[in-house]
Amino acid sequence: MSRKESNDEEMQFNREEEEDDEDENGRGLDAWERTYADERSWESLQEDESGLLRPIDNKTLYHAQYRRRLRTSSAARIQKGLIRYLYIVIDLSRAAGEMDYKPSRMVVVARQAEAFIREFFDQNPLSQIGLVTLKDGVAHCLTDLGGSPESHIKALMGKLTSSGDASLQNGLDLVHSLLNQIPTYGHREVLILYSALSTCDPGDIMETIQKCKASKIRCSVIGLSAELYICKYLCQETGGSYYVALDESHLKELVFEHAPPPPAIAEFAIANLIRMGFPQRAAEGVISICSCHKEAKVGGGYTCPRCKARICELPTECQICGLTLVSSPHLARSYHHLFPITPFDDVSPSVSSDPRYLPKNCFGCQQSLLNPGNMPASCVSCPKCKQYFCLDCDIYIHESLHNCPGCESFRHSKTGKRGHGVLLKAEEKVHYEAREPQSNLEMEKRSRDLRKGESPQEIDLQDTINKEIKMNHLDEGKYQVALRRDSTPKNKPEFIAH
Amino acid sequence: MKFQIEDVTVYFPYDNIYPEQYSYMVELKRALDAKGHCLLEMPTGTGKTIALLSLITSYALSKPSNPVKLLYCTRTVHEMEKTLAELRFLHNYQVKHLGPSARILALGLSSRKNLCVNPRVVSAENRDSVDAACRKLTASWVRALAVENPNIPTCEFFENYEKAASDAVLPPGVYTLQDLRAFGKEKGWCPYFLARHMVQFANVVVYSYQYLLDPKVAGIISKEMQRESVVVFDEAHNIDNVCIEALSVSVRMQTLEGATRNLNRMNQEIERLVQYFKGRLQTENVEKEGPVTFVASINAQVGIDQKMLRFCYDRLHSLMLTLEITDTGQFLHIQTICDLATLVGTYTRGFSIIIEPFDERMPHIPDPVLQLCCHDASLAIKPVFERFQSVVITSGTLSPIDLYPRLLNFNPVVSRSFTMSLTRDCICPMVLTRGSDQLPVSTKYDLRSDPGVEKNYGKLLLEMVSVVPDGIVCFFVSYSYMDGIVNSWHESGILKEIMQHKLVFIETQDVVETTLALDNYRRACDCGRGAVFSRGKVAEGIDFDRHYGRLVIMFGVPFQYTLSRILLARLEYLRETFQIKEGDFLTFDALRQAAQCVGRVIRSKADYGMMIFADKRFVSLCTVTIVLLGNSTIK
Repeated sequence: MSRKESNDEEMQFNREEEEDDEDENGRGLDAWERTYADERSWESLQEDESGLLRPIDNKTLYHAQYRRRLRTSSAARIQKGLIRYLYIVIDLSRAAGEMDYKPSRMVVVARQAEAFIREFFDQNPLSQIGLVTLKDGVAHCLTDLGGSPESHIKALMGKLTSSGDASLQNGLDLVHSLLNQIPTYGHREVLILYSALSTCDPGDIMETIQKCKASKIRCSVIGLSAELYICKYLCQETGGSYYVALDESHLKELVFEHAPPPPAIAEFAIANLIRMGFPQRAAEGVISICSCHKEAKVGGGYTCPRCKARICELPTECQICGLTLVSSPHLARSYHHLFPITPFDDVSPSVSSDPRYLPKNCFGCQQSLLNPGNMPASCVSCPKCKQYFCLDCDIYIHESLHNCPGCESFRHSKTGKRGHGVLLKAEEKVHYEAREPQSNLEMEKRSRDLRKGESPQEIDLQDTINKEIKMNHLDEGKYQVALRRDSTPKNKPEFIAH
Repeated sequence: MKFQIEDVTVYFPYDNIYPEQYSYMVELKRALDAKGHCLLEMPTGTGKTIALLSLITSYALSKPSNPVKLLYCTRTVHEMEKTLAELRFLHNYQVKHLGPSARILALGLSSRKNLCVNPRVVSAENRDSVDAACRKLTASWVRALAVENPNIPTCEFFENYEKAASDAVLPPGVYTLQDLRAFGKEKGWCPYFLARHMVQFANVVVYSYQYLLDPKVAGIISKEMQRESVVVFDEAHNIDNVCIEALSVSVRMQTLEGATRNLNRMNQEIERLVQYFKGRLQTENVEKEGPVTFVASINAQVGIDQKMLRFCYDRLHSLMLTLEITDTGQFLHIQTICDLATLVGTYTRGFSIIIEPFDERMPHIPDPVLQLCCHDASLAIKPVFERFQSVVITSGTLSPIDLYPRLLNFNPVVSRSFTMSLTRDCICPMVLTRGSDQLPVSTKYDLRSDPGVEKNYGKLLLEMVSVVPDGIVCFFVSYSYMDGIVNSWHESGILKEIMQHKLVFIETQDVVETTLALDNYRRACDCGRGAVFSRGKVAEGIDFDRHYGRLVIMFGVPFQYTLSRILLARLEYLRETFQIKEGDFLTFDALRQAAQCVGRVIRSKADYGMMIFADKRFVSLCTVTIVLLGNSTIK
């Protein structure tokens, strides 16, 4: 954090200089001034070993960052809380008007919050968000919990003014009273985007923190100025995370870390059934009164399968009968969080420099893996199917596709369609029939575990994994390792956490 | 972990060790081998205490035939408890690895006030009255009377302890003061007398500086310690001042009146001496003279010679025993007089007597004071160096390390300074020479009351409170300066603006008020409100670690009050005797104070903080400052 502080100092000084400039030239900046004030073009340059300036290689840098994140986050196969109820608390106190972030802290925060809300609903279709602002020492509920990104963003963008002090306690109290009503299977979370350096509270904030802890509200804070003890304490107590952003891109990174679902809280991790309704979309052109807005609406909307009430959007809880309403695509889209693709391995330079082992093209996009001049570029390989991918495909597979093309095509070929795709050419050379007996035992154990209560779809998936392991061990000596890695989490079946 | 340093196996209770801790141990081991004294500097927060304890105890374990005894001196009771807690942790580790043979006896020794378990005695408000209350119950003649007359109260704990006689021993282990009290309560023995008795048999004794440095106390407690002891002075950067204070006495009118009252009950020849002092205190002028002329003048005017003066203390002591006086708290005044007389009679060099008829700040109110000032720190510590084979002087800040041997007049076999190995920049020291209007800032006498400087200091604090989280500590050079500047900030409205960001707490000379302010300051930091704490005295003892001090600002260089006669006399003495220049000493003193102040914010490697030295004079002192703060850079 000290790095943060020194950086902060620097920013203060920079800001002072900039303000001087502005005083001289009035508010409007010329283009050449903007290069200095806003764009900071020199920051994207670096010196190479021969002393020449050249642009920072953003792509590899970005990729390295991404991989680091992937490695830390995807501790594969932990129970995740998929139904989340998240309140975003945005500090709009005096400090949010500071201009160390361009154009000001609150604009930057709002911009990131907007992007985050979209990303959040993309990754957590079963979850809901609410917005709370802190201003003039009071907390104000901007939007109630809801599943529509547009309504939140609209409400947020309309309210961007800053004044007064921030009160963390009032914010927590409000969120606590709001989150206490939600059903217990949902994960209660608060994400606080805090610009101020202090909190002006009416009472003892420690009590409020204990109250939040008791109601299992996970509080995370992202600071914009410097590390505050009380925020650290709050996050420690409630199991959240606390980071201070260094600049806008870092802020974005920190905010987006909260998009994937967090690990489930141990006490709630017992699998139990909850009743859910899958409402049908109402026919076009039917006029009805929706139960959520109490307005007559034409077309669209959904009908609760139990009480036949009309609702506008999913997911939600039926206002009339209290049934949780979701749509099946939402469920399906949340599913991949439970079975993340293992991070791909970096291909070591020694291997990649040997052209005999390296395919020339990326398995995903079929683009050449070689840089111009036949120099091998950095690439990655899937630990299961041993296919090579370029960096772009790596990100695409993990962030959007959630399926490894190599493993998938192999799975298809295994279930009968031999000779499909490029994959088998490589794999057919290995006589995996010969090793079959060794893993029979393991297979049996697996299926016994699996029958205990997992869906047929998952057995199918596990099957695939099993087969893949068999393939893996054909690479001399890796058998044991691969097996152990995959068999440890088998002790408890994964499930959607409710 | 367990490792070898030359022939000694060191048991270190943690799994990791910092490189500087290791080299510290190596140097310490060499000093012990050479049976000589040493001077070691290592920044705070690097685990100095545990390194020291584990090496010395391991050293003692490796030589079972002739184990060394450790006398560990701390400045405060709080530090004593902390040291003992660390020692216990270490001891458990050693016993776990070596079995029962590694058992040692370690205990802390403090005054009756901290050790007494008798509810009637310990309820007294200060140390002296606890002592007196205890003596009232435990003096030999009181107990003799009590045998005949059961109505005379005695202390049951002491009686039980006496009854148990030689059975009253502490089993091996590490005892903090609290443990001693608990043990005493459980057994019904007086923990104070038990501890005093057990000190002779203990392997490790932790007590305060006074038990070794104050000749009066040292004679009673420490005289039976064997020569094969290792004496450690921890946090010893101020040891010269402690030595001097141990031998300095000041006499005021109240003291003399008290002494006269005492004499009415004793009516002895000391009366003449008191009368003489009274005469001297009538003076209108400031007077300064050496002990020799003073003694001569006493001899001429009231006919008491040097020999008589020297034995004053002993004679008073035996007199009080004969007269069976138990309420010693009442007799402090006459004791002060006798102390003075003894010191004057004993030492001929290194002292001066200064009589001031009034306080410099308030020349109209007569407040005469006669001060016997010791200038030579080596006098008090000399017996310690002579009696014990190894004396270790250690602290976080001892730079410049070559000055201490001169001040204390000894020859260390090892004198080393270690720097902290930091994995990241956890401190950011800065020197501020000009305010935002480009005018120089300083607390130099001619600039001090300049409104521009005051405004610039205010602006600095205002800018800082808006960007620094949690706690900020401000040090001012004196209370009066702080009062002045806070007033002017209040008038110009800067204080109000500061209060918008953080609460402001101001230390006063009243201990209770300050404690309360400090407590609230901590609470404000804890609950996220943020606060500024202004300290007038450049003092140590209170830590502002972690979020309690993310920034420390030194407003001005904390030079001593150079017009003080005591200081002038000391400077003159230092120049004549040790060839230490006045400037050098003043700079050294100011910088060690400054380093101590800013050092309060970093107490461990995991901590971080910023330090601002706001005075243009710090630039010229910069090189020294860099040394003080380790190898971190000044920006």
